Amino acid sequence: MSRTSRSFRTAAIAVVAALGLLATACGGDGGSTDSASDGKPVTIKYWTWTLGAKSTVEAFNRTHKDIKVEFTEIPSSTEGYSKLANAVKAGNAPDVATIEYQMVPEFASQGNLIDLTDYAGKTVKSKFPASVQSLVTFGGRTWTVPYDVAPQLYYYRTDLFKKYGIEVPKTWAEFTTAAAAVKKADKNVRLASMPKSDPALLAALSWQAGGKWFTTEGDAWKPGVDDAPSKKVAAYWDRLIKDDLVQSFTAYSPEETKARASGRTLSFLGASWSAGGMKTAMPDLKGKWAVAPLPNWGTAASGNYGGTSYGVLKGSRHTEAAAEFIEWLTTNRAGVEARLADLESPSSALPADPQMRPVAAAKFDTAYLGGQDLYKLASEQVDTIVPGWTWGPNQLDVYTAVQDATAKSGFGGGVTAGQRKAESGITERGLKLAR
Amino acid sequence: MAAPPAPAVKTRPRPTTKPPATSALRRSQRRAAALFVVPFFVLFAAVMVAPIGYAVWMSLFQEHSSGLGFGGTQRVFSGIGNYTKALSDAGFRDSFVHIALYCALYIPVMIGGSLLLALLLDSAMARAKRFFQLALFLPHAIPGLIASLIWIYLYTPGLSPVLDWIGALGGSWDFYSNDHVLSSMVNLCAWQWIGYNMVIFYAALQAVPREVIEAAVVDGAGALRTALRIKVPLIASALVMTVLFTCVGAIQIFTEPKLLNQRGAPSVDTEWSPTLFIWKAGFVQHDYGLAAAASLLLALLGVVLSYLVTRLGNRWKAAS
Repeated sequence: MSRTSRSFRTAAIAVVAALGLLATACGGDGGSTDSASDGKPVTIKYWTWTLGAKSTVEAFNRTHKDIKVEFTEIPSSTEGYSKLANAVKAGNAPDVATIEYQMVPEFASQGNLIDLTDYAGKTVKSKFPASVQSLVTFGGRTWTVPYDVAPQLYYYRTDLFKKYGIEVPKTWAEFTTAAAAVKKADKNVRLASMPKSDPALLAALSWQAGGKWFTTEGDAWKPGVDDAPSKKVAAYWDRLIKDDLVQSFTAYSPEETKARASGRTLSFLGASWSAGGMKTAMPDLKGKWAVAPLPNWGTAASGNYGGTSYGVLKGSRHTEAAAEFIEWLTTNRAGVEARLADLESPSSALPADPQMRPVAAAKFDTAYLGGQDLYKLASEQVDTIVPGWTWGPNQLDVYTAVQDATAKSGFGGGVTAGQRKAESGITERGLKLAR
Repeated sequence: MAAPPAPAVKTRPRPTTKPPATSALRRSQRRAAALFVVPFFVLFAAVMVAPIGYAVWMSLFQEHSSGLGFGGTQRVFSGIGNYTKALSDAGFRDSFVHIALYCALYIPVMIGGSLLLALLLDSAMARAKRFFQLALFLPHAIPGLIASLIWIYLYTPGLSPVLDWIGALGGSWDFYSNDHVLSSMVNLCAWQWIGYNMVIFYAALQAVPREVIEAAVVDGAGALRTALRIKVPLIASALVMTVLFTCVGAIQIFTEPKLLNQRGAPSVDTEWSPTLFIWKAGFVQHDYGLAAAASLLLALLGVVLSYLVTRLGNRWKAAS
């Protein structure tokens, strides 16, 4: 055998060995079990984007000896969920993560979540209202533990409403009239902005109107993204935008905030959690904002705009410890208080556990909203959330389809495209589609 | 691994005092060569061959669930299923039309613009060569994402001072509208890359023998004629290489359309370019098989395009 081939062999062996090393470096982790019998605390990883997370984790670690939580901030929405899904795929997912209700069916059916029935099923059944339980329970199993409910609320500028002589609209018809009055008074100012880039808001508005983007029939999914109430909502907003009665800024963009802060947008559609960030986004407007129930279609009704729960991701070796941490986060007085202790950006989310609502309300600084009791108002709205709404197994994809089509041809086109995507996505994955 | 053809060492026709040393040197040279080459092959295998192989493997499978889907997923072999799925997807096909249109506008602007700048810098007209070289190259030093954010700020109504000035002068312009979004995107990318390509052309121009140019001048050729007839043909290799890199880069465009999409440019949807389609398939639809198949199809286009550009470029080089 010649020298060349021997050195080639050496090189080849080196390559293979190095690759093997890389592979083990990627996949390796020191296997440890849940029990803390060796006296060392169990360390669990926690990824979230919610406000007040840092102070919450610090409080937990201060008071718990056997479990240590490591917190990492991740982006919200699509970017955050793809990060989580990829981490599960790569085998380095965190133990605990924030999963919004809208993503629970998708994450559960993709196999990204550990079934929590045995760990937190009882807690979920005993502490949370049935309307919230149905958002985290599928196929008879409990997948995540709820934290907050997010009935829609209407935030408005008290000083500018007075200036333009506008009453707080109670119905969508009044909202249209008010929008026209504002435009007439000042051509540079509008009552509100309806983003085309926030399909979750469109979903919540459809929910309020009685739409049901998804339902299940037996073991089959039945999408209704373009059902009659959703179409009505889409047409309503398309009309307002066409008539130039509302603005349409990109959701959560600097231009949207600038328009609000400079008084060019007088109100916005939000939820309880919206209040938390206002203090930092618009510090000069303290005391000038107030909150009211969302305008409705004739009878008091509300959709859930957002709302978060906590799940344990597949691959976690510490399900028990993770479930304990989640229970503390969602149903323990100290956990709820810690979330509001963050001075810069306290969470103003409304706890889903009714016993925790007074705890949060007592901690929340109402000065920004001129002393108004945000939690009382939001709690009252929980009862108006229309029952029967289910999120879909391919929610992100449906959202993207709605958003793409809305940008091109308005909300009407958005819901049609969303329905098509819901149907095709369900069949492509081999799931059953109800006819 | 390619090794130099080893000379036969069976017989030693001219024995001197050296031969043993030479062969020992050869042996150790070979060892040293192998040692130096190994890191390349390790990296090549780890970051090129292995991922491509894994992508091919992934592209052959689909994930399936049943009923409501809460019973877990199953991985099933689907052969070329993901490839036909990608090719039959109107969004995927459209994305290639989008980048074809983009290239039709971007490549002439980019190559023409950077060549023009390089020729201007090279000519006697440019007094402050160093300054312009640096000023034009500077945008390239800014990361693409940051550059996109800056431009998006300048494009967005309500934030942009540029739009305020246009408005103050009585005009109006919508950088995001269907008619203008492509030029907005080309502008953004050209701003980042024109200085880079210009530096390549400028460096190539420095290698043009001065006596050739002097001869042209003596023969009575003007500056324009010298540039077009002498300088450009002499930097043909640099031109072909730059066109190649620009093409391969352009078909992979991601950051710019992604940000324009997020800022609500109506015609730039979430699968506007092939890379956006792939990103969406993998990370929004969790369809890794489809994402892998689409990636390989895009890579195939890159290979074909590289071949064509090199082929046509060589023909042009031979002709000029």
